[in-house]
Amino acid sequence: MSAAPATAADDPGTDGPPPPVLRTAAPPSALPTGLPIPAGRAEPGPGALRTEAAGGWDQVERRARASQSFWTAVVGVPAIFSVLRLGIEAGGELQTTLLLVANVGPVNLLAGFLTTAARLLSTVLVAVFALGGVLAASGHRLTRRPLFARWTEITPGWFVAASFLMALVTWPLLYLPLLLPTFAAAFQLRPERLHERPAVRALILVAAYAGYLWLLVPTLRDAWRQGEPLPIVLLVAPPLLALFVAGPLPSVVIRPLAPVTQLAVLVVLVWAALPVISTPVLPLTVTTVGEAGAASVDATEEIRGHVVTTDDVNMVILQERGGVRYVPVDQVRGQVLCPSEEELPRYRLRIHDFHVEDSLLEGLGRRVRPVHRVDAACR
Amino acid sequence: MGVSLSSSRWRSVATTAAVALTLLLGAAAGCDSRKEPDLPSVQEKLRESHIWGQPVLRIGVADDEPLMGEIRDGDHVGFDVEIARYIAASLGYEGEHRLEFVAVSTEDRIPALQGGVVDLVVSSFSITEERKKLVSFAGPYFVTTQEVLVPTRHKDTIRTIEDLRNPTYRICTSGGSTTEAELEKNQVRTLVVKDVWDCVKGIRAGKYDAVSSDETILAGFLARYPTEFEIVDMPFGTSELLGVGVPIGDPALRDLVAYFLDKSYQQGRSGEASPWLTAYNRTLGPWLRGEKRQPQPLDVPRLVDFDDKAPQR
Repeated sequence: MSAAPATAADDPGTDGPPPPVLRTAAPPSALPTGLPIPAGRAEPGPGALRTEAAGGWDQVERRARASQSFWTAVVGVPAIFSVLRLGIEAGGELQTTLLLVANVGPVNLLAGFLTTAARLLSTVLVAVFALGGVLAASGHRLTRRPLFARWTEITPGWFVAASFLMALVTWPLLYLPLLLPTFAAAFQLRPERLHERPAVRALILVAAYAGYLWLLVPTLRDAWRQGEPLPIVLLVAPPLLALFVAGPLPSVVIRPLAPVTQLAVLVVLVWAALPVISTPVLPLTVTTVGEAGAASVDATEEIRGHVVTTDDVNMVILQERGGVRYVPVDQVRGQVLCPSEEELPRYRLRIHDFHVEDSLLEGLGRRVRPVHRVDAACR
Repeated sequence: MGVSLSSSRWRSVATTAAVALTLLLGAAAGCDSRKEPDLPSVQEKLRESHIWGQPVLRIGVADDEPLMGEIRDGDHVGFDVEIARYIAASLGYEGEHRLEFVAVSTEDRIPALQGGVVDLVVSSFSITEERKKLVSFAGPYFVTTQEVLVPTRHKDTIRTIEDLRNPTYRICTSGGSTTEAELEKNQVRTLVVKDVWDCVKGIRAGKYDAVSSDETILAGFLARYPTEFEIVDMPFGTSELLGVGVPIGDPALRDLVAYFLDKSYQQGRSGEASPWLTAYNRTLGPWLRGEKRQPQPLDVPRLVDFDDKAPQR
């Protein structure tokens, strides 16, 4: 997919601006190797330099392989997760899994997966691109370029931007400031890019940061009163870090950083994926079941679970505690949608009436439908 | 050259620190997002309470106090009953088949809670220090004062506490009530019966001359017989705080009731139609003099619930 532009960029004879899909800022041959790299520009990949010496094909093949592995991960991981989730949702029972497979369509499955996993997916992508940006900026000091650096280089800019956009709308508001340093790292943006005169630069930065703090003053005050230090740090510190995060790291740091962070992202992926694959695919409901005309409490039953399917004869309910129930449709007396306990908030903080644990999407959704009623049957 | 070298070294140290701190913050955010809430949730409290898993909630209410708790056409109606329904629905008990109203008289309220006959009592139950030793209270959900109801034949003669002390008048009140104690404190001789209803019947039969009780209860009888009675405003010392009675051994249930009363209070404060206001307007509102608002419940625990993220404005 991105192999073709990569080939074009690796051509040592290419001069002038790079193709738009490539994120390598300058053509490699335009810079003598001995000169210091100008600030604010991404360094050329040293791979490109080696291409000149060792011939292009090896490099092209490597890039193609890296591109393949990247896209396999992006497409394959969600697909595998979706299927794994059905097994967990079914409580590990083969027949129940098959019932779910028969009734949950691939589109529903993928949509359900994206709804619950968009946060995890965007987090992993943002982490990969931010680390990739940092490693690529200083990777020339290593003999073998780190995987993330190669991934970041071959990924089209629009995809990186889209990942950040997805993070922007799906991350909880509390963690959104972290997008600033990660964005600066992924695109290697330095404050020098803002304006050439340092005084003007400082003025712009101070004004922007003051405005940002002014927006957050009520939230920070509440957090201080409630004795919550982490939200304060998470809201205040990241914009400052974004100013310094771009640029090459000393080789003594970069050598351990590459393998450790790559391993850490993998571990975090597995650790964070566990709750995601155990998140239900189907909505949680409480169905009141009883013989027609029965009025006493003994004659009715409330089944808490996920409705798999409903046909003319039966409603098939996967119970929350396990097991499948086939309830005759004429015995269903009521049904309500219930929230799950994982949705309970941890903080009592709001940013201008948006709860800090809501994402932008969720927060906007709550503006549209502000009244939320928990039905008695859900208790 | 030296300046440029030291500046580039400074820059690389700053970058290293910034990268390290960003990684650290990211890790902290990751751990934080997986943490359980610090505050207990409504569901946790429900699991701790004695009503967890119980198919039916039994609530003690009065059946002979018009406007507060009475039976009309076989249904329990009144302000207390509406408050009881709101609390029950919040606790997960909605609909007639999941909620059982048990009629308790004034003096049976504490024994009914102690004996486990009822899970809650919402029946003009005044919060007092003495009662707090026997049962727990959530609330107050209403503040009322002690007044005197006189038949129209006495409306010009019984006007003050001094008049009540006149031995020619037979003053009636219900047993085990705070009114009885207050009258005693004012040296008023009383004839104590089981319920206020008995006093009203007695007055109509000519057995008694006046009845003293909470304004809310008296307003109910005034609503029942608007031409026969009148409420006389007397300067009895204390105001009565009505609360929901909960068994003393179940602090979780008390916390939940207080939490839901407070939820209604907060709704009312932000100008919304709260369950309390709806109940008040449907029952007591037209019969009480002066505007009433829901009092702020005391000792409200901080709990998290599913609707905490909903917009507040």
